[in-house]
Amino acid sequence: MKKTVLDYALKIRLPLTLFVIATTFVLTYYISRPERDSIGYSPEQPIKFSHKLHAGAMAIDCQYCHTEVGKGRHATIPSVNVCMNCHSVARKDKPEIVKLTQYYEEGKPIPWKRIHKIPDYAYFNHSVHVNKGIDCTSCHGDIKEMDVVGQVRQFTMNACLDCHREPHKNLPYLEKVNNGPDNCWACHR
Amino acid sequence: MNENRNSNELKKDYWKSLKDYNNDPDLLKIKANEFLEGVTEDFDESKLSGISRRRFIALLTASTAFAATACTDYRDKGEIIPYNKRPEEIKPGKANYYASTCNGCSQSCGILVKTREGRPIKIDGNPEHPINNGKICSKGQASIINLYDPERLKEPLISGRKTGWSNIDKDVITLLDNAKKNNKEIAIVTGKVVSPTVKKLLDDFKTKYSSTKIYSVELIGDKLRSEAWFESYGSYNYPAIKFDQANIILSLDSDFLGNEGNFIENMQKYSSKRDVVNKVNFNRLYVAEGRMSATGMMADYRISISPDKQYQFVMMLIKEVLKSGSSINLSNDFITRINSVNSSLKIDRSKVNLLLKDLIANKGKSIVYAGDTLSKDVHVAVNFLNEILGNTALYDYSRVFKSFIPYAKNEEIIRLIDSMNDGNVDVVIHFDTNPVFILPGDVGYEAALKKVSGTISLTESENETSAVCKFVLPVNNQLESWGDSNIRTGVYSLQQPVISPIFNTRQKESILLTWLNGDPSLYTDDLYHKYLINSFNTGIYTGIKNSADEKTFWYSVLHDGFITFNEENKISNFNFNALTNKSNSIESNGYTLHLTESYFVGDGRFANNGWLQEVPHPVSKVSWDNYASVSPSLAKELNVDMDDVIELSANGKTFNVPVVVQPGVAEKTINIELGYGRTVVGDVGKGIGFNPIILMNKISSSSPFVISNITIKKTGDKHKLVSTQEHHSLDDTFVKDFHRIRKIIQEGTVEEYNQDPHFLHHEKHEVFGITREHKYTGVKWAMSIDLNKCTSCTACVTSCNVENNIPVVGKDQVGRGREMQWIRIDRYYSGTPEDPIVSNQPMLCQHCDNAPCENVCPVNATNHSPDGLNQMAYNRCVGTRYCSNNCPYKVRRYNFFDFRDHFADEYYQNNLTALVNNPEVTVRSRGVMEKCTFCIQRIMEARSDAITEGRELKGSDVVTACQQACPTNAIVFGDMNDPESKISKMRDHNLAYHVLEELNIKPNVTYIAKLRNTHPEGN
Repeated sequence: MKKTVLDYALKIRLPLTLFVIATTFVLTYYISRPERDSIGYSPEQPIKFSHKLHAGAMAIDCQYCHTEVGKGRHATIPSVNVCMNCHSVARKDKPEIVKLTQYYEEGKPIPWKRIHKIPDYAYFNHSVHVNKGIDCTSCHGDIKEMDVVGQVRQFTMNACLDCHREPHKNLPYLEKVNNGPDNCWACHR
Repeated sequence: MNENRNSNELKKDYWKSLKDYNNDPDLLKIKANEFLEGVTEDFDESKLSGISRRRFIALLTASTAFAATACTDYRDKGEIIPYNKRPEEIKPGKANYYASTCNGCSQSCGILVKTREGRPIKIDGNPEHPINNGKICSKGQASIINLYDPERLKEPLISGRKTGWSNIDKDVITLLDNAKKNNKEIAIVTGKVVSPTVKKLLDDFKTKYSSTKIYSVELIGDKLRSEAWFESYGSYNYPAIKFDQANIILSLDSDFLGNEGNFIENMQKYSSKRDVVNKVNFNRLYVAEGRMSATGMMADYRISISPDKQYQFVMMLIKEVLKSGSSINLSNDFITRINSVNSSLKIDRSKVNLLLKDLIANKGKSIVYAGDTLSKDVHVAVNFLNEILGNTALYDYSRVFKSFIPYAKNEEIIRLIDSMNDGNVDVVIHFDTNPVFILPGDVGYEAALKKVSGTISLTESENETSAVCKFVLPVNNQLESWGDSNIRTGVYSLQQPVISPIFNTRQKESILLTWLNGDPSLYTDDLYHKYLINSFNTGIYTGIKNSADEKTFWYSVLHDGFITFNEENKISNFNFNALTNKSNSIESNGYTLHLTESYFVGDGRFANNGWLQEVPHPVSKVSWDNYASVSPSLAKELNVDMDDVIELSANGKTFNVPVVVQPGVAEKTINIELGYGRTVVGDVGKGIGFNPIILMNKISSSSPFVISNITIKKTGDKHKLVSTQEHHSLDDTFVKDFHRIRKIIQEGTVEEYNQDPHFLHHEKHEVFGITREHKYTGVKWAMSIDLNKCTSCTACVTSCNVENNIPVVGKDQVGRGREMQWIRIDRYYSGTPEDPIVSNQPMLCQHCDNAPCENVCPVNATNHSPDGLNQMAYNRCVGTRYCSNNCPYKVRRYNFFDFRDHFADEYYQNNLTALVNNPEVTVRSRGVMEKCTFCIQRIMEARSDAITEGRELKGSDVVTACQQACPTNAIVFGDMNDPESKISKMRDHNLAYHVLEELNIKPNVTYIAKLRNTHPEGN
């Protein structure tokens, strides 16, 4: 039997096209899931510290613990002695606090799981953003409502640039705000 | 030479090397090519992987598939670990600075050590220090990597076996006690002692062990100068020179702007009389030398003279000056005696006449300065010459160079070796010094040492001396040590540790203290710290009578790093008997060898420092080697060229060394730098250079560094030297007299400038662009480099290396033109090879407004920032190297390898050395292009500080690493859009020009043309 154009179209061209389309969909779906950008990443921490309790219910200011956020590049995770300011007295008998006290007394640092991370070739500076009046929640989400902290926003270059280019849209609460720099050396060097 | 060059052209036709001067066809070929031949070809088939392309792709696909199935939803991001108890002063991401004192040489410059999260990452000068005013040299800058040298000694050793400190202490104390009992000598061999506390410690040691003798030994140092001063004025303490008040400076084979004395201080003072902005009267520098030194490159007039003829030269000057009268009273007898000295000399009289006119016209305002390597006789004669010229007014007695322990005399060293051989010495303690290497080969120190039972070496890393010592005790790096220095009168500096000892090492003074205490268990880490405070309280605190209490005063001095106070100095009269009337002329075949100090490795102590080995020599641009520099005429006579090995014989010894044909070297003089050719050294310094110390003579009546009557022979061997001078040549295929037509170097004379300040710009064309000009609002960064002040000292190069994590690539890679330094110092000659005039020009990324590199990048990895920076995003770079091809200045550097892992079997690729990296700068890997960033990390830090403080960013907030390091402040950086800023004034200066301005690429680095202060009658 002679092969017709229709045979070719049905037997070869069609399945091939469908396969390509299907693969594209699957790949696009796979890559663009929010999980790929770590959204929703909330690993278990060595100590079940609740931001909801400390920052929410007790309304402790972020900068009480994250002391350097307005002064330097890193917000800084508080060292154990900061926790002990209160917990050498408060809730000493709770199991998590016992764990904390143990770390403190053994002189060991707490190996917190890292949640927010940008690659090491990008040089993000907390103080620049905080001192421009940008709220912590604009990037980190509503920490006050989180028992276990997880990532809620993208930390991609695209996300950075989106805000740098359209700060009014992304930071509506700021009355006066300039565009952030969008040149390479603003972050990479 | 070349017929194309007539005498008119000669004057301003710049050339980079002799090959360039002679239009060597090979060089023309190199210049026509973008990269050196072989720079891109590194493929050796046998070294290639055996995997075929097909197999490779199959493996790639399979591994991707496996990786995909292994994917979890979330990638683990690791841990973030805070301190348990954070030290109050440490703020992650913020640098701390500690004032301290540099130990790199005996000049004790004040330093500020930058630490991040507790680790030192950069050393700069202490801006408030009265001697070095915030600047330090290349050696000081690069010494930071010695702290992180993976080959530092980590444990104490007895006969090569690891052992504990208490074992060693016990053994040594027994040895010392026995020596005391048997009345055998204990010898302590040390370098120059700069610290009053170490002096006290050694005195204490002598008190307990009375048979102790101290020997202060240095390779070069100021031994001859201070001994000559002793003969002339009865004191080893000699004054500093007020170069900033000298109208005329005559340097006799002295590299006072390159590596002699406190050259940082000298450079600052010298360049204050080369200031075109404040329009001061220029000084005039005459240099009479046999080699071509960094100082010689700066000279307005260079007089070629062999170093063994310097005495005759000075005597001739003295005779001529005496004809015009003297500033001091001299008896007729004395004058007759002087006139009887034979001073016949073949020399270029035209320059000497100008010199004499200047010296006589500027009595009391000129200075004659002899080099460290010249004999005592020359120094004494120079002292006398300065006396009769009334130049003693320029002696600065408020900052005298002190001597705590005089250098060991030659006779003393010979006596020590004799008694070592006779078994009269029981213990030899090497107090962080390496006499086996630095003492002349014929004294037989090493052989004598083998006959001593108690040989002890206190050292940071293995060296020639520790290799033959029984006890090898690792000591702290300077950044882990306490210390003090009072090397200059009226200035006391403190040294403090900025990191606790990384290895099981101890402070060298603490080791002696433990032995003094006689009980190993009494050792504590703060043993010397306490001793120092104690000595400070009894010495400085009591002397100054400060109103604060002891502790407050100690902390205030520790904070500042130094304290100044009044210290009495006795000034005595010149002792005329010191001036011998021996004519000092040895019958000679005329060939003279001159040994001088290396610019980078010091006396060999920095031989294992890759950064220093790789910095190109200020004159020859050779790196990773020393060599014999010979004059073009001698090269012709011997029929040698660069890389040819010659054999030198003197004092019955022979020595082979490769040759560099160096324009400007005196006809029969050969110059070799010392400090190379270390044999027991780490992997970096192994097999680097040649050690001419073996030619030095133990009983040299004049100077051990000037060896007359040598014989030279061509051997026919070759040793490849690598020089960066032809690398990154500015293209000149089409125009042979390119440097003149393109005006890369623009110069004039002071006279020209005074007559017509605008003289530089008469031929200037207006350049038109075809694109609309981009408007820069806000800050726009720009730099200017004052070529009047640049001495080519390379402090900027090293500072940039440390600040920007620039890798060491090694000799082989430098030979292929792959050096990575972001800033290079181009050197051009003009004039003739026999009498060249030298121009230096630091060349770095010009951050052009219309940068040609940006247009050709296929991935837009290099582009322009709104504040006028030519940015380079490493992560975008795919390594096409089009940008480098299109860069007219040749300032882009390509990572042909991940050099950290490529250099010397991953020498610098380890967890320890990684600590030296600046955490604010990306460590670049293989396959990306990089270049000067104008220290973007510093700009961004200043910007963040400005935002934190709620103010506008000002240009003066940013200081680039090269600017911070430049000893003469030749580099100015700032905001050109601010009309009040220093940089905009520099850009508008009459002498300002841009290199390759006519390309209309609008570079943002402005050069201030060099003015030569030629004598009005000299032209």
